[in-house]
Amino acid sequence: MWSFAALADLIHEELNAQLDPSWVLAVEMILVGLSAIGLFALLGLVLVLMERKVSAFMQIRLGPNRVGPAGLLQTLADTLKLLVKEGITPNGVDRLMFNGAPFIAMIAAMLLLAPIAFARDFQIWDLNIGVLYVSAVSSLNVIAILMAGWSSNNKYSLLGAMRSGAQIVSYELSAGLSVLTIVVLAGSLQMSEIVASQADGWWVFKGHVPALLAFVIFLIAATAETNRAPFDLSEAESELTAGFHTEYSGMKFALFFLAEYINVFIVCAIGATLFLGGWMPLHIGHWAGFNQVMDWIPSSIWFFGKTFFLIFVIMWFRWTFPRLRIDQLLDLEWKYLLPIGMVNILLVTAVAILGWHF
Amino acid sequence: MMKGETIIFWLLAALTLGTALLAVTSRQIFRAAIYLLFSLLGVAGIYFWLHYEFVAAVQIVVYAGGIAVLIIFSVFLTQRSGEDLPKPSTGRMLVAGLATLSGLALVMFHVLKHAFPVSILEPSTATVADLGRRMLHTGEGGFALPFEVVSILLLAAMVGCIVIAMRVKNKNL
Amino acid sequence: MFLKEYISDITGAVGSLLKGMRRTGYYFLHRGEAITQQYPDNRDHMGLPERFRGEVVMPHNEQNEHRCTGCTACELACPNGTIKVVTKFEVNAEGKRKKAVDRFIYHLELCTMCNLCIEACPTDAIKMAQHFEHSVYDRSQLTKILNRPESKLQDGVE
Repeated sequence: MWSFAALADLIHEELNAQLDPSWVLAVEMILVGLSAIGLFALLGLVLVLMERKVSAFMQIRLGPNRVGPAGLLQTLADTLKLLVKEGITPNGVDRLMFNGAPFIAMIAAMLLLAPIAFARDFQIWDLNIGVLYVSAVSSLNVIAILMAGWSSNNKYSLLGAMRSGAQIVSYELSAGLSVLTIVVLAGSLQMSEIVASQADGWWVFKGHVPALLAFVIFLIAATAETNRAPFDLSEAESELTAGFHTEYSGMKFALFFLAEYINVFIVCAIGATLFLGGWMPLHIGHWAGFNQVMDWIPSSIWFFGKTFFLIFVIMWFRWTFPRLRIDQLLDLEWKYLLPIGMVNILLVTAVAILGWHF
Repeated sequence: MMKGETIIFWLLAALTLGTALLAVTSRQIFRAAIYLLFSLLGVAGIYFWLHYEFVAAVQIVVYAGGIAVLIIFSVFLTQRSGEDLPKPSTGRMLVAGLATLSGLALVMFHVLKHAFPVSILEPSTATVADLGRRMLHTGEGGFALPFEVVSILLLAAMVGCIVIAMRVKNKNL
Repeated sequence: MFLKEYISDITGAVGSLLKGMRRTGYYFLHRGEAITQQYPDNRDHMGLPERFRGEVVMPHNEQNEHRCTGCTACELACPNGTIKVVTKFEVNAEGKRKKAVDRFIYHLELCTMCNLCIEACPTDAIKMAQHFEHSVYDRSQLTKILNRPESKLQDGVE
């Protein structure tokens, strides 16, 4: 049967037949890099279009519908526009930092792609601390924002960067705690093992109330960590004129924009992997017949379906809720999410030790 | 011909040392902080290269995600942090250079003197579960006591923060 | 009790958030309710809202009669001098001299569509129309005389 894993194996064998091993590794690395870039470009196009359509539908509008059939080529046209636009570097900026920041944002987003399992046996790097790696590397994203905000030499950018820093540093805690609940249940940090542990049902169903609670906390924290509304204080258009990327234009702005959407995708992919079973089809306990029917659907479709469902939920948040004030934002984290997350982790430990989960 | 992993090692080492050098020579404090961050990331890269993934991830979490952000925040809150720093006096530079050189000499002396025996043992990969067990192990080779002591230290720091941040309510109002 | 308040806070917040999400989710699924007008594609069958205001007009009936008595109440009501009523004296059938409107001058370029003139009019002589495609190349074309030439006051309107 055709699958991503089979394709990867085929390429690997072909290369091994043609070249010597060290070159195979180099060629494979280049291939992986190229396909990651390709995935990014595709995701950028798809997610921006999706965002615009979802927002329009939720606001009783039609959304882009002029370029191509039903507006499907709108983002392609936008990308073309951004590509040919002049990338202005204003006077008085710290040139090195200003021009470097978008690339740091992209690199941080790209590094996060490594441990994600896209389909059955199809993963770039299945390292044994996958979840920890993700939470570590995702903290690099804030550096890009701080760099951009500082080097722009603009008070709005600086304010946006400061807010963003405070926000990401605080919400990392509850994101980490909610991820930890699944780690406790699955007993491993490795992505492939976490997915394998959900072969008889997804954790969000198996883990009773604690897993559900952790899922909700994770969604909120993920929205905050990706700086999306209602937590988009760092780029609040109405008060900070786009915050840390006020001074950016053309392709450098596009890179920030793309990095935001890639981060949304990655965060949702992690959420889907931890709570909704990643590429694992919907299995219920020992219903062999039902499970077999579900296995007919390819694993990549399961993975992308779940991820896009979570992306949709996050977009749903964005187009429903008004932006929080900074004190409300920090209140929510420190007075609600964090204490609840801490109690929740005690609960889940009890559940795991007593073996109450299914 | 150099092997691929050797090339990667040299690249990581060059990144670490180069950005470390830039961090101490840069006259702009914010740039210095960013260079320091890259230097720390280079160290994390070397840990990854050595297959110590856990240590590498912790290096990134603690240094890049925590300490570097803290440094950058304090730079943001510093007055006139956008200006160039004054050039340090020659005497101080001389002393700093001497201290660095003597440190380097000490390390090199030990590295060169130590005969690294080639081990035929299988390299052990410490999983997170092993680390956790060792961390809470009270017997021989366990780290329960240091772990708890560090926890108490952190708890004291947290209580201190709360005491400093807490505003005493004025009862007369 | 503190904990009770805390929990009721959370449930209240979650409840109201879900309510909002249900509303947007409803709109997401019910595409027929989209209010976007694809102007100018749908010029022929555009559904303008009832209260949309495009310009002030003065309706005339088949006998070329309007209901304006020239009382200038609208001119006084207008906040930015959009309306200028030029009056004349007419001799009516009984030989009485009576004030009547000569030219009802309406400056569309000044009008903010505030509706105050329509509310001020005692005889309902003017009303808001929905026509909105007003663009012209010369500003002077926007100054309009609303009463038609040779038009008269409708009988019975005082």
